[in-house]
This record gives sequence, structure tokens and C-alpha cells, in this order.
Amino acid sequence: MHFRVVIRFNAILILFLGLFMAVPLVVSLAYRDGSSRAFAFSMAITFLVGLVLFLFTRSRQENVLNHRDGVAIVTLGWIMAGLFGMLPYIASGSIPDFTNAYFESLSGFTTTGASILTDIESLPKGVLLWRSLTQWIGGMGIIVLSIAILPFLGVGGMQLYRAETPSPVVDKLKPRISDTAKILWKVYLAITIVQVIFLLGGGMSVFDAFCHAFCTLPTGGFSTKNASVLAYNSAYLDTVIIVFMLLAGINFSLHYKMLKGDRKIFGRDEECRVFLVVVAVFTLLITLDTYGGVYTSFFHAFRQAAFQVSSIITTTGFVSADYEKWPAFSQIILLSCMFFGAMAGSTGGGMKFMRIILLIKHGYQQIIRIIHPHAVTSVKLGGRAVPTEVLNGIWGFFILYLCLFLIATLVMAALGLDFVSSIGAVASSLGNVGPGLGIVGPERNYLGVPLAGKWVLVACMLIGRLEIYTVIVLLTPEFWKK
Amino acid sequence: MKIIILGAGEVGFHTAQKLSQEGQDVVLVDHDPEQIKRVADNLDVQVFLGSGTSPRILRDAGIENADLLVAATNSDEVNIIACLLAKNLNRLLFRVARVRNEEYLLDKNLLGDDFVDIDHMINPQSEMVRNIQSLMEIPGASEVIDFAEGRVKLIGFTVVENSPLAGMPMISVGELSQKMLIGAIVRQNQVIIPGGKDTVFAGDMVYVVIRREDLGEIPRLLHLDAGVLRRVIIIGAGQTGISLARLLDHSGITARIIEKDTQKCIQLSEELNHVIVINGDGADRDLLQEENVKDVDFLVALTGDEESNILISLLAKGLGAKKTITRVSKMSYIPLMSAIGIDTVVSPRLSAVRAILQHIRPGKIISVVPLKGERAEAIEAEALETSEIVNTPLSKVKIPKGALVGAILRGEEVIIPRGDSVIKPKDRLVLFALQKVVPKLEKLLTVKLEYF
Repeated sequence: MHFRVVIRFNAILILFLGLFMAVPLVVSLAYRDGSSRAFAFSMAITFLVGLVLFLFTRSRQENVLNHRDGVAIVTLGWIMAGLFGMLPYIASGSIPDFTNAYFESLSGFTTTGASILTDIESLPKGVLLWRSLTQWIGGMGIIVLSIAILPFLGVGGMQLYRAETPSPVVDKLKPRISDTAKILWKVYLAITIVQVIFLLGGGMSVFDAFCHAFCTLPTGGFSTKNASVLAYNSAYLDTVIIVFMLLAGINFSLHYKMLKGDRKIFGRDEECRVFLVVVAVFTLLITLDTYGGVYTSFFHAFRQAAFQVSSIITTTGFVSADYEKWPAFSQIILLSCMFFGAMAGSTGGGMKFMRIILLIKHGYQQIIRIIHPHAVTSVKLGGRAVPTEVLNGIWGFFILYLCLFLIATLVMAALGLDFVSSIGAVASSLGNVGPGLGIVGPERNYLGVPLAGKWVLVACMLIGRLEIYTVIVLLTPEFWKK
Repeated sequence: MKIIILGAGEVGFHTAQKLSQEGQDVVLVDHDPEQIKRVADNLDVQVFLGSGTSPRILRDAGIENADLLVAATNSDEVNIIACLLAKNLNRLLFRVARVRNEEYLLDKNLLGDDFVDIDHMINPQSEMVRNIQSLMEIPGASEVIDFAEGRVKLIGFTVVENSPLAGMPMISVGELSQKMLIGAIVRQNQVIIPGGKDTVFAGDMVYVVIRREDLGEIPRLLHLDAGVLRRVIIIGAGQTGISLARLLDHSGITARIIEKDTQKCIQLSEELNHVIVINGDGADRDLLQEENVKDVDFLVALTGDEESNILISLLAKGLGAKKTITRVSKMSYIPLMSAIGIDTVVSPRLSAVRAILQHIRPGKIISVVPLKGERAEAIEAEALETSEIVNTPLSKVKIPKGALVGAILRGEEVIIPRGDSVIKPKDRLVLFALQKVVPKLEKLLTVKLEYF
């Protein structure tokens, strides 16, 4: 591993972050909310550290990246992002405690949306915007952004891209990785702007519209309201957010192809088809389950079911209803949604539909083998055979995901959380969802989780966002051997 | 420029590598998942798994808005069909195909304008034979590259202790002869494009530009001429060996070809008149001595097994052969060769990559040849009227550091430039440049206005 290059690249990422802090700085100045000094201070520190590291690692050698460097850069980069991203929280006094501030910051960057804040509305506008902005940056990925902007990466960019992208297979849209990254960011930006316009149409204030759009597209789920989207209680806004959450849960390559004129791509893509059908079926099941008991109006039941299913399955985590009051059947559907996650190549978390589909198909194949012992079969997705290597990778991912879930749940229970809360908190953090169950349920927050538990969840969020392998590989002794 | 390359073998891989490093958009198609993975891991190019003859794959790869297709799969038929399909998918596409079977190339009308109409067909075999032939013209050189249809020659050779160039500063080279110019110096794997202050040392490999007319005079001046070529031994009667033997058959050079396979030997002896066919193992010490290898000017090891070729060449050197040419296919071996004492290497793949790259440059750049480890290039280009380089004495032109003008071709005339030479519009130039300054040089040659 080339430490110099790893540090150098992280320095660049830190400088990027500093640049982004200018946005809340300007906003806080405009609103005179009293947090501008905190932002100026955070920005100064971020730039200073970034610059010192950048100049310190200057060298005449070329910046060549190998696989290991890519993994180290990405993991370290995200840890750093959490660290510098929390400066405004501490400096402004909004979240004075280190653990809480880091939790909130990393929860933002990993687009989890789990919060330790009880009274969100009392925070300065600048801090609120920064919260949303961390999610927006983290959604498409700060690494992908730097690949798009920095021209010198070349092949090294591919190593980084692969380490950050949430998908078992990497899809290059253009011959050059930097062009691919540019396209993804452009699509991301475009959809965000469209959502802002729609939200404004529903009577949301400009500030809230931007903040909510910044948290929908990355499937983040931070809201500027204590009661999340429930505060608006508007069918129109719910619908807009549902649509954009689902869009965010769809592979961004498909959006690009759609915009290029391929209108039927969503229906033709197998993963997308399954994803949308599952969302529809789950919505229907929950509607039927809650209609009559919890909700008296069928339409109301449908609206709540659709919103909550979309919100959890895309791992956004906006809340429009206290689903803890729903029957166990509905709650278990939502819990399983936390594991499913959205499509590969989207900004969503969880295990991703592509993996689930392939696992089921592979399992079915084993059954066929029992009936026809000599059968030669292959697992296909969208009509194309999937290489065994990819399947093995997915099995490994699946096992590791479950193991991590079990271990983390055990630790949470050992720390004193009850059965349901332990499961809910870990499933939600690992899947980058946000609200969990029990004491971390939709109406409550993560403030009450013990200190050690918060760090366990922070680790879960990071591991979940970087799709397990990228982080876990750093923990193996083999990685550090020369 | 968007370039689609079919086949991710050595030729496809290295062509893709070169072009993507230059900043072109490269898409690579191959049907072997292993090869595709190797490319995806190592190069910044887009890859597609599938056959190059599938219209669907070609469309997926974006053939409709591509500028260039390089068909470099292992199969001639696939390459030709792919070019045929591609022509119908995109009329404006420039197509280059690797075609190994000489039969396809012999009859120009066979794949002519009204049928497949491939813009350039490249035969690695014959490119390599041509390469060997030029090397034989100047026995002291380890590389000979032709420019402008052979009117300008670029000779690469290692400067020995007693060479007149050893220890000579650049400024004095002009005093030695006005008819040559040192374009590049390779010292310990570092390529230097020399300026006035640089000095040539013994042990350096230098690239010298000369005119064809001076082919007799300059090598003698530089002690590169080992006398007239008289005796050649070819080991291995594969396609290349046979082509070379055919060329030498009526040249008056005493040539022998050694081949293991008796049947092949019989066939060959029926065809050849003057070349002596010898049945035996080229790696056999006694056989080589029997054939008087110590008096041979050139021993060319062309068997299908590259490791054998290397050993045969080393053996022949040990037995006193003046010069050896070794065929090596694996690109990763090539940098090792000079270290183990093998002076000249030919490779069908390298020849093919060179030939492809020579023919596919955008705009007014006519051809490019990678030098030593691909860190520097020799470029043949036309000077545009709009370029800053024209109508100014060369010493006044701001040529980027790491680049120099090696030769000027004006009509029939070839000029080896000095500081006061002036380039006129429409002149063809041979330039040397380090790879990293090539983009700057391209700009210098074309701008003021974007012309194409």
C-alpha cells in the first residue's frame, strides 16, 4: 500500500468537504441564524488540515493506485468525512458531545438518516442545511464526485469507483471512468432540481424544499421537522416524495439510459421490474392489513402504506406515520424491507435487489439439480448469464451481512437494549435506513442508545454504505502484509 | 475520438492501453470473460463481453457514433465480418483489421472497395518480415523504422566505447555530419529528447534520423556497418520463416533455414531454389557449429516457441554469430531482452500494434511509432498553414520541452533540420516527443484554429 498516495488523496477529499461548507456558510449569513462563525471556523480548520496534508505528501513520484490503495482511500475517506463533517455541529453548539456529533455526521454521509437530535426545529438554518448536504454528498459518493472532477486518476479511478459504488457489478456508461462519474452526478443533480420544483409546487418553503430534496435523492431521510414529513400532512407532498424516493432507489444507469431516449428501460430491466412489483405488493399487503384496524379510510391506509414501504425499502427513512402502531404483519414486512434495500447502482442501502434476485435464482437452480442431477444450468439476470465469480461474491456478501447483523444485535442487547430495539437499530444502521424499531422507532431517536452502542451503529453504517467488503478487508492481517 | 477495439488479446490490449493513455475514448469487446476482466482491472476503457460479429454487441458498444474500429481478434474471418457489419452500421467509420492469412491480402480485389472495403489491413507476419528486412539493411542497428514510405529512416542502436558518438555533446554532432540528427537517447530506461547541452555516452541507445540516400554513408561514419550482408541462418520454418526465406531466395545472400519437421523441410526444398533447407534442431550446438554459425552475419530465430528462440539466440551469440534477431511474442519479455544480452527483438504483436497505431491518428498526424518502452514517440505529421510552427526559423519556434523536429519532407526533398531551417505549410515532419508532451505537440501542429 502506498501511504503517501492514500493520504494525499484524502487531503483532496478534505479540501472538497471544506469547499462544500461554503454553502451553509452563505445560507447562515443570509438568514443571520448565528451559526456563520461556526461554519467559518470549521471551514478554516478543514482547509488548513487538507492543505497541510496535501503539501506534505507532495512528491515527484507518480500517483499510481492499486487495489489496496483504492480500498484504503475510500474507507479512510469516509471516516474523515464523518470527522470533518461534525465540526459545524460542535462549533455551533448544536451537538456539543463528540460521540453524538460524529454519529449525526456519519449518519448523514452514509445516508442513513438516523439522528440523535430531539428538537430539530430549534437548530440554526445553516446547521440544518449542512445536515441535508452531508446526505446529498454521501448519496452519489464523494469519491465518485472527485473522480468526476479530478482528471489525473485514470485507471486508479476505477479502483476507487469500485470500492465505493453500491453494486456487485460495476457498470461503465462511458469509456472513461471520469466521464461515467460525471454523468452520474449530472443525472443526480438534475433529478434533485426537478424534485425541488415539485416540492415548491406543494407549498413547501424554498429552504425546506432544498433540504428535503437533498435528503430524498441520496435516500438519506433527514428532515428539517421534528415529525419528519408527517409535519406537512399533505397528500401531494407525500406523493412527490414517494415518486422521488422510488426514483432514487432505481439504478442511476437506467435513469441515464431513460434520459437518452430509451423509454421502456424501466420495464425491460429485470431488477427494476422486480423492485417495482415488490413495492406494489408490499404496499397492497400493508394497506389491507392496516385498513379497518389502524386507519378507517382505505385511501389513507394506502397512502401511509405506500409512503412507508417506499421510504424503508429505498432505505430513505422519512416518516409519515408511526408504523409501530401497525400490526406485527406490517411491521415485519417493513423490517424485511430494511434488509432488501433498493436496486444495485442506486443511492439506496441494504443488500440490494440484484443480490436478492440472484440468490433466489441460484437457490432454485440447486433444486433443479436435485431433480436433474446431470443438468447444466446457469443463473441469468435480464437474459444474460451471471459469472460464478459474481455469484460467489454475492453469497459471501450475504453471509457476512447476516453475521454482522447477528454480532451487532448481540452487542446491542448486551448493552441493555430490548429485543425489538436491538434488531431494529442494527438492521436500520446496516441498511442505512434511519428509523428502526422500539426505542429507536419512527417517533423517537438514537439519543438514548448507550455510548458504546452508538459506536457499534456508526461502524454498521459505514460498513453498510461501503458494502461490507471495502471495510472488512482492511481488518484482515493479510491486507497489511507487504 | 471514440475507438472500438475488437479482441482483447495482446494486440488489442496494448493498442487500447496506448490509446486510452492518450486520452481517447476506447471501448473493448471480447468474448472471453477472463480477458475482459484483465482489461477492466488495468485500463480505463469500457468493456463489453460478447462477439465482435454480433450487431447487437457492436451497437451496445456504440458503433454508431464511433470514429474508428480496430478488429484485432485472433480470427481473420471474425475481423473481416466485423468490418463488413460495421460498415453497414456506420458509413463514416474508419476500419482497421488484423488479417493473418496472406491469401486474403494477395488479391487486392478480393476484399476490394465494393465489397468489404477495409481501410487498412494489417498483417503482423508481413509487418514483422518487413521489420526484419530493414534491420538487415543496417546490421549494426537494433531498430530500424521507416517514415514517409521509407525515404526517412530512424535507426536505433547502442553506442559502444569506440563509437565516434561516445562522449560527444549534441552541438558537435552537427560537425560530424550535417546529414543526421539524434532524435532520442535512451539511458537506463529513461528516454531523453536531447537539447543542445546533452551529451551522448557510451552505453546509451540512440535514435538517429537519416535520409535513405545516406544509408551507405552514415552507418559507416558511425561504425554501424559490418560490411555487406553475406550469410544468414533462419531457424524455424513457420509462416514468418518461410516468408523471409522466400525474400532471400533470389537476393544473392547465402541463406540457410533450419527446421525440425522433416515434412515441412521437403515441401520447402521443393519451393526454394537457393536457400538451403536443413532438417534438424536449431537449438543443437553441434548442428549450429556444423553450419558455421560463427561466420554468420545474422541468425534469425523464428520458431513458434519464444523461450527456445531466446536460448537459440544466446547459444548462437556464444558460438560467435555476429548478430541475432529473436522473435518474442510476450510483450512482458521484451524489456528483459537487452539485460540478458539479446540485441534485437521482433514481435508480431508489437509489429501489429505499431502498424495499427501508425494508421489511426486523428487529423493531420500521419503516423506514430512508439519508441523503447513506449515512453517516447516518433510522429509523422503534416504542418498546417495555421500552425505556429510554419514560416518561422526553428530556433524561434516554441517547441515544447521534450520534443524536437527530426526531419522535414518537402515534395521529393528531405531536409535534416538545423536551427535556421524554416518549415513551410504542407511540409511533412518527423517529430520526436516524450509521451507526456504529445498532446501539447498535437496542439502546436494543429491550432491557432481548430481545423478538423
